[in-house]
Amino acid sequence: MNEPILELEGLSKVYPGGLKALDNVDLTIRRGEIFALLGPNGAGKTTLIGAVCGLVRPTSGSIRAFGHDMASDWRKARSRIGLVPQELSTDMFEPVHRAVAYSRGLFGLAPDPARIEEILRSLSLWDKKDERIMALSGGMKRRVLIAKALAHEPDLLFLDEPTAGVDVELRKGMWAIIDQMRDRGVTIILTTHYIEEAELMADRVGIIDRGKLLMVDEKEAMMARLGRTEAHISLSTPIAALPPALARYPIEIEEGGTSLCYRGGDGTGRGKQEVADITKVLIAEGIDYTGIDVRESSLEDIFVSLLGEEQEQAA
Amino acid sequence: MIGWRSTWSIYTRELMRFLRTAFQSVLAPVLTTSLYFIVFGAAIGGRMPDLGGVDYGAFIIPGLLMLTLLGETTSNSSFGIYMPRFTGTIYELLSAPVGVAETLIGFVGAAMTKSLILAAIILVTARLFVDYSIAYPLLAVLYIMLVAAAFSLFGFILGIWADNFEKLGIIPMLFLTPLTFLGGTFYSIDMLPEPWDTIALANPIVYLVSGLRWTFYGSSDVNIWISFGITLAFLAACTGVIAYIFKTGWRLRA
Repeated sequence: MNEPILELEGLSKVYPGGLKALDNVDLTIRRGEIFALLGPNGAGKTTLIGAVCGLVRPTSGSIRAFGHDMASDWRKARSRIGLVPQELSTDMFEPVHRAVAYSRGLFGLAPDPARIEEILRSLSLWDKKDERIMALSGGMKRRVLIAKALAHEPDLLFLDEPTAGVDVELRKGMWAIIDQMRDRGVTIILTTHYIEEAELMADRVGIIDRGKLLMVDEKEAMMARLGRTEAHISLSTPIAALPPALARYPIEIEEGGTSLCYRGGDGTGRGKQEVADITKVLIAEGIDYTGIDVRESSLEDIFVSLLGEEQEQAA
Repeated sequence: MIGWRSTWSIYTRELMRFLRTAFQSVLAPVLTTSLYFIVFGAAIGGRMPDLGGVDYGAFIIPGLLMLTLLGETTSNSSFGIYMPRFTGTIYELLSAPVGVAETLIGFVGAAMTKSLILAAIILVTARLFVDYSIAYPLLAVLYIMLVAAAFSLFGFILGIWADNFEKLGIIPMLFLTPLTFLGGTFYSIDMLPEPWDTIALANPIVYLVSGLRWTFYGSSDVNIWISFGITLAFLAACTGVIAYIFKTGWRLRA
C-alpha cells in the first residue's frame, strides 16, 4: 500500500496567456489507495490529470509513473494508466462492445472477448453491448467511459468528476463501482466537487486551489487534525457566569445566558466526550437544560475553511 | 518500436467509419464519374480530336481519377483526425501508448485504403463508358498510392489545423478543386495559348495529373520523373510538418 506508483515533483503548467494552472506541485500516490483531489472550479484538477495522462504538456517539473519517467519512457507508463474524462466524449455511433474492444486494442493488448464481457457485466452494460452509445442514458454513457478505461486493465485509474451531473441513485451506483475497482487492486485518483464522495470513498485527500496543492493527508488524520465538534446547549434558566468546573472547557455563554456553545475536540470523538462531561457538570451544578445540538465538522467544513484561509492570504 | 496492435485498432476503426457510410462513399464517386463521362466523354468528347493519339474519353480518365483521389483522400483524412478533436474523443488517443508512427499508419493508412478502393471503383465505372488500357499498371498503382499517401498526410495536417468545419472545407473547396480543374484534368496544357501554358506549370496539380496520365498512356505534358519528384517532395514536406506537430503537440496537447 505504501509503494509509490506515481510521483510528481515541482510540476507546473502555465498556459499561453499566463494562466498558472499548476504551481510547483509535489505529490506521491501509493499503490492501491483511493486518492481524492478536491478543489473549486479552475483549481487545476483536470490540468493535473491531463499532465499525467499526456493531454497537457507540463511547463516544468517531472512525472514518474511505475518508476518510468513520463517524458522519456511514456509508452510503458501510459499502458498502465486509464482515464475517465469529465466530458462524455465517445464515438456516439459505435456499439458499446466495439468501443470498449477498440480501447483495449489501442493500448496494445490482444483481443479478449471474455475480459470485455467481464468488464461490461461488472458495469451492468452487458445487455446494452450491441446498442449504439448515442442510445444510452447519461449514466450509462459514463459507465461506457469507465469500461473503455478499464479495457486495458490499468493499475492506475483517473476518474475526473465521475459523478458530475448524475442523480443520487446513479451516484451511489458509481461509488459501488469504485469500490469494486478498489477491491481489484486498482489505484484510483478521483476529482470531485462532492466532498461527501471524498469523505466516503477516499483513503487520502489532497486539496488544490489556484494550481497549488494546499494539503495532502490521510482522510482520517485530516479530520482528526482539523475537525471540530460544535455543541449548543439550551438552558432552562439564563446564567450570568460559567461555573468554575466548566472553566477548563472551550465554552462560551450565548444568547443572553440562555445557551452555552462548545467548540472544541479534534475530529477523533474527543469533542463528543467533552460535551458529555459538560452535561454531567451542569447537572451536578443544578443547571437544567432543555436540549443539546451536537455537530461534528465535515470534510466540507475543513475544505471551505482551508480555501478561505488561502484566499485571505492571497488577498 | 511501433505498436502494431494499436496501429491495427486505429486502422480498422477508421475503415469501419468508412463502411458505416459505405453507400454514400461509394455511390457519390460512381455518380460523379458517370456524370463527367456523360458530359465530357460522350456529349463533348465526341466532337474533340484525339489528344496525343488517345481518345478524349480515355484521356480524361487519369484527370478524373486524380480529381476524386485528391478530394476524397484529403477529406477522409482531415475528418478522421478533426472529428475526435471536435467531439473530445481524442483524449483516448493522446493518453494511449501510441506515438506518431502508430497514429499516422492508422489514420493515413485507412485514408489511403479508402482512396484505393475509390480509385478502383472509378476505373471500373470508366470502363462502362470508355475503352481504355493502362500502359504501366504497376507504376499507375504505385503513383496512385504515392499521391494518396501525400494527400492523406496533407488532410491530416488540415484536420489538425482546422478549428471549425468552415476551415476544414475551405482548403479543398477554394484551392484543391479549382487547381485540379485547372491542372489538365480535361485538357492538355499544350492546348493553352501563351502565356497560360507557362503559367499553368506553376500549378502543382498539373504535375500530378500529368504523372498519372503518363502511367496510363506513356505520354504526358510533363516529364514523368519531375512528376514523381514533386509528389515525393510533397510527401516529404507533409511528413516533416506532421513530425513537427507531434513533437510540439501543436493543436493536439494543451
